[in-house]
Amino acid sequence: MFKIFKPSPTSYQVKLAGSNTEFSVQRGDSLLNSALSAGVQWPFKCKVGSCGTCKCQLLEGKINPQLDFSYVLDGSEIQQGYILACQTMLKSDLLVSLDLDK
Amino acid sequence: MKFYVNARYLIVPIMSIITILGVLIGGAYAWVGVALFGINTVIDTLTKDIHLRADFDSQGESYGIKTFQYGIMYFMLPVFIALQIALAYRIFQFTAATPVQIDLFYGIAYQSGISGINLIGAVLSSGLWAGLGIIYGHELSHNKKEGFLVSRLVMALSGASHFTYAHVYNHHLDLGHEDDPATAPRGRNMYAHAWLSHMGQSRYSYNLEEGRLKKQGKSTLNVDNRWILGYLYSLPSLVLFVWAGGLIGIAALFAVWVIANFLLEALNFMGHYGLIRTHGLPVEHRHSWDNDSVFTSWFFIEIGRQCDHHVRGETYFWELDDVKGPNYGIGYFSLFVIALIPALFRRYVEKHLANWDEKYATDDELAIAAKFS
Repeated sequence: MFKIFKPSPTSYQVKLAGSNTEFSVQRGDSLLNSALSAGVQWPFKCKVGSCGTCKCQLLEGKINPQLDFSYVLDGSEIQQGYILACQTMLKSDLLVSLDLDK
Repeated sequence: MKFYVNARYLIVPIMSIITILGVLIGGAYAWVGVALFGINTVIDTLTKDIHLRADFDSQGESYGIKTFQYGIMYFMLPVFIALQIALAYRIFQFTAATPVQIDLFYGIAYQSGISGINLIGAVLSSGLWAGLGIIYGHELSHNKKEGFLVSRLVMALSGASHFTYAHVYNHHLDLGHEDDPATAPRGRNMYAHAWLSHMGQSRYSYNLEEGRLKKQGKSTLNVDNRWILGYLYSLPSLVLFVWAGGLIGIAALFAVWVIANFLLEALNFMGHYGLIRTHGLPVEHRHSWDNDSVFTSWFFIEIGRQCDHHVRGETYFWELDDVKGPNYGIGYFSLFVIALIPALFRRYVEKHLANWDEKYATDDELAIAAKFS
């Protein structure tokens, strides 16, 4: 009836560009943890947003960053849409690019 | 079960409020925070052999209620502010030479005015319990958005707002390396560590901001500099204490900050003393000491489960578990008392380090350890 009362989805879908990999992210879970739970070999080290190992490029969709990425990513990376998966909550379905060979 | 799991972490909130009431009631009650610290040391020592696991239901879900635990952590910010205001009120009375006499506040007897000796008790009580703000400042430093700001503000009450950035970007990344100020190398005592770790983390936090602002083409002397901003967050405390008692107020606040920062660095000292990680290798359970006896676990909201925390830094405290990593086998209060006497601590820790060298260390890590022997 009123958009304001429309419940937000309980999960979102994430697709990895250039592959058939797709997984869902429950509301409140991070992109990285959901990927790992779905069996994706996503590179990571610290999980607190300090090492940058889990970075990926956001191609489509909206996110809710949990920490300031500018301590780890440089200006050009941020402009190109790079994000830290461990510090990313979702606001929509996403299309991301990840170098799984890292 | 849900009630038990969530209520057990209320020890510090309840005792902090008792400490505030002690300062406000005055007289010998101003020492109640110190007394509680002593009582807690006894309880912690008596229960050192009880170690519990985290509690999960049959589906593997934690019984912890996030909204409740976050509500409590946020609630602790005004509680710690109230503690400072209570102390400032007593300093104001002391410097104004308010007569020491029993008065009534809505039928409750309290001592108006405060003697010098009881003011010392109030300062010590406030310092010890302000220092315990670290357990919330630490947890919230990992938990995003407004939680990060609350962490900064809680730490700013102890003049340590730099901690929030240094902890996440330095300590978690460089754990066990010589360039992590919060990891104490073998042979260092807790007093030296308190100074070196505090200054090192503050310097790191400054350099971090300098680098970030440079990338943005901004000057370091800028209100966007979060290192500077962190210290500005501490300014209201300074203004309050100068107003309340001039030089005596400054001395009292300085004492509170010294005690609080000493406790903060004591936790860093106990959490990683003497452990080593080779550069480039991932952080593993073996790079931290666990202190997870029952009272320590509940009182310090599981901050003693360092082994699990450093591998799963994003995990809420109530979900952290015993991962069978290096473990002192006793709680923080008991270990803190031992660490206060450097010679005693060195003797105590010897067998634990020998066990770590034998059971956990790699050859590279042993080679680094040999440099400190």
